[in-house]
Amino acid sequence: MDDKVKTAETSSGHVKVVENATCTFCGCVCDDMVLTVDLDQKKITKAKNACVLGRAWFAEHVHEDNVPPALLDGQPVSVEAAIEEAARILVEARFPITYGLSDTTCEAQREAVAITDMIRGNLDTTTSVCHGPSGLAFQGIGESTMTLGEVKNRADLVIYWGGNPAESHPRHFTRYAVTPKGMFTPNGKKDRYVVLVDVRRTPSAPVADLFLQVKPGHDFELAWALRALVRGRRLDPGIEEATGIPLATLTDLAARMKSCRYGVLFFGMGLTMTRGRHFNSGAVLALATDLNEYTHFVAKPVRGHGNVTGADNVVSWQTGFPFGVNFSRGFPRFNPGEFTTVDTLSRGDADAALIVASDPAANFPKAAIEHLGRIPVISLDAKETATSRLARVAFRTATYGISVAGTVYRMDDVPITLRTAFESKLPSDEDILTALRTRIKALLLARGQAAKSRSAATRTAA
Amino acid sequence: MSLRLQLRTRPEVPVEADALAPDRLQGLKTPEVESLPLIHGNENCVVGDFFAADGECNGELHLEGDLSRIKHLGSGMKSGTLHIHGDAGAHLGVGMSGGQVIVDGNAGDWVGPEMSGGRICVKGNAGHMVGAAYRGSPMGMTGGEIIIGGCARNELGHGMRNGLIAVGGDSGDFTGVNMLAGTIIVLGRLGLRPGASMKRGTIVTLHDSELLPTFSYACCFRPPFLGLYLLHLRQLDLAVADAHISGRYARWCGDSIELNRGEILLYKT
Repeated sequence: MDDKVKTAETSSGHVKVVENATCTFCGCVCDDMVLTVDLDQKKITKAKNACVLGRAWFAEHVHEDNVPPALLDGQPVSVEAAIEEAARILVEARFPITYGLSDTTCEAQREAVAITDMIRGNLDTTTSVCHGPSGLAFQGIGESTMTLGEVKNRADLVIYWGGNPAESHPRHFTRYAVTPKGMFTPNGKKDRYVVLVDVRRTPSAPVADLFLQVKPGHDFELAWALRALVRGRRLDPGIEEATGIPLATLTDLAARMKSCRYGVLFFGMGLTMTRGRHFNSGAVLALATDLNEYTHFVAKPVRGHGNVTGADNVVSWQTGFPFGVNFSRGFPRFNPGEFTTVDTLSRGDADAALIVASDPAANFPKAAIEHLGRIPVISLDAKETATSRLARVAFRTATYGISVAGTVYRMDDVPITLRTAFESKLPSDEDILTALRTRIKALLLARGQAAKSRSAATRTAA
Repeated sequence: MSLRLQLRTRPEVPVEADALAPDRLQGLKTPEVESLPLIHGNENCVVGDFFAADGECNGELHLEGDLSRIKHLGSGMKSGTLHIHGDAGAHLGVGMSGGQVIVDGNAGDWVGPEMSGGRICVKGNAGHMVGAAYRGSPMGMTGGEIIIGGCARNELGHGMRNGLIAVGGDSGDFTGVNMLAGTIIVLGRLGLRPGASMKRGTIVTLHDSELLPTFSYACCFRPPFLGLYLLHLRQLDLAVADAHISGRYARWCGDSIELNRGEILLYKT
């Protein structure tokens, strides 16, 4: 038995304490949770060290053993029957798409990639609607990177751009980047200068020593101006009109960036999803690259979903590209805008969809959702969603990090092992996808043999 | 006699038709043309599954019907004329090195990416990434001409290395981004951030434009070369007035983050 899991009988019942459990709610993937689990009620009653979001994630998890694991057209069926139908849909499709993957384990993600490769489909993850532009920018510019441990121990200048970690990643400040005491930052916050760049004053602003309120939609101009100043180019004072920030402030910041010991730029979706997208991310990455002529400077996207970084990693090491990958020619091709899911659905290209741990029917553009309603959809999710409601085949799976063990990646590309709180009778995403892959392989082999026989018969007749 | 291919079955999912280029069909009989391979989604098909062929290709290929779902038309063509009587799908004239493509309707994204010669004329609008570099590739078009009668969208001439792109209407954001050399002429308005990261090359517009802080004003002059370019575009049916040919243009140099040897010319009335 895992020595980090202790089971005890208490006056209030059968209780288990899981030490060093991992919260998979956001990209911080904090792995220092101490969970108290009431085994009788199958409920997590306490999550020590968790932030407000993590506490809600653990507390709101309802154990649902009575939920049917598979639905076909809304009716409960056996898992085997649902897999048979799902495999048939995917094998018969000419442009099947796989989407989601950011809220499941790397082991399940790997199966989804294998399935998409086998059926010559189109593979995309939720990265394409959050930090996909950063993925494009990494390819175009490159990434000066690090781990969050390095930031904790070394960073003396921390810049957050286009994000609000106080509300979206509450422990980012306290565990990794602002207040923790590190090897070369023994006084914690006192040893760091924190800058926040955003279009409005958010709850993250009080943490910052300098708050820069950039004009909405002008992040690119601001990053470009900073690049110019870092490179010693002269700028017109009219930059204040363009960006909302005085030239003197920018000049001071550029000087501070060049003279710091270890600087870090964390950027969020306020940068990647505003006009300019991958060029905004690229400008910030290029700024970090420029600064490496003077000091050590790194840049890192602040990722949202628990294992979206794992999705990028798994898809990259299996296909060579992080998202928006197409296998229709039998080999992977990367082209965001053409092979990303919003586009394949909005244009009406896709004729079947495998959605894993994501809810595009709730948050995609109208044209994409409408097309999703016209094609057969297979969904895997730990809860009922708008997507599972419109799916022809809907699998209900166990929640990763609570009932399913496996591997997830933190936002700094560090893999972390999950430890479960309690068992579930529901299958995991990996179980379903492995069974689906096996059945698809058998169907494809049978189809190949049938085609071979037909071709031999034609030759004989001729 | 020219070859005509009439679309008779609208594809359910996108078709990739690399085979449909005039030089590749030169001298082929109708049955041979109809048996050439296409990719329909993830399925191998033949031209005859979607098109009815008529005639023999003497260097001229006519495609008829709504081809907005047919991608990679004229891919890698070296000579001949491809005339599309309707809309064309994405990746039109990928890497072509010669010949001419004419589109009577609109074209999708990626018109003439990484082409090195020849001419593409789109009478309607074009999508994103006209004459651009593919993702991860260091340079876009290295030669030839792309003429868009209507408007074009973002990243027109991304990473362009040489050649001419002309747009009769407006262009989207990041026109000429990462440009290495070549000429882009937009008769309408430029979108935001034209010439970001450009090293060399010329971007011309007949309207005023908001430029990045890393571009600096140089002078106002009558560029002698521009008259020749504009006369050439007038011959290709773009609406160029005499005043544009003989007019004065404000020259802005940039991008100073890079070599600062690029120029944006803004027409001054």
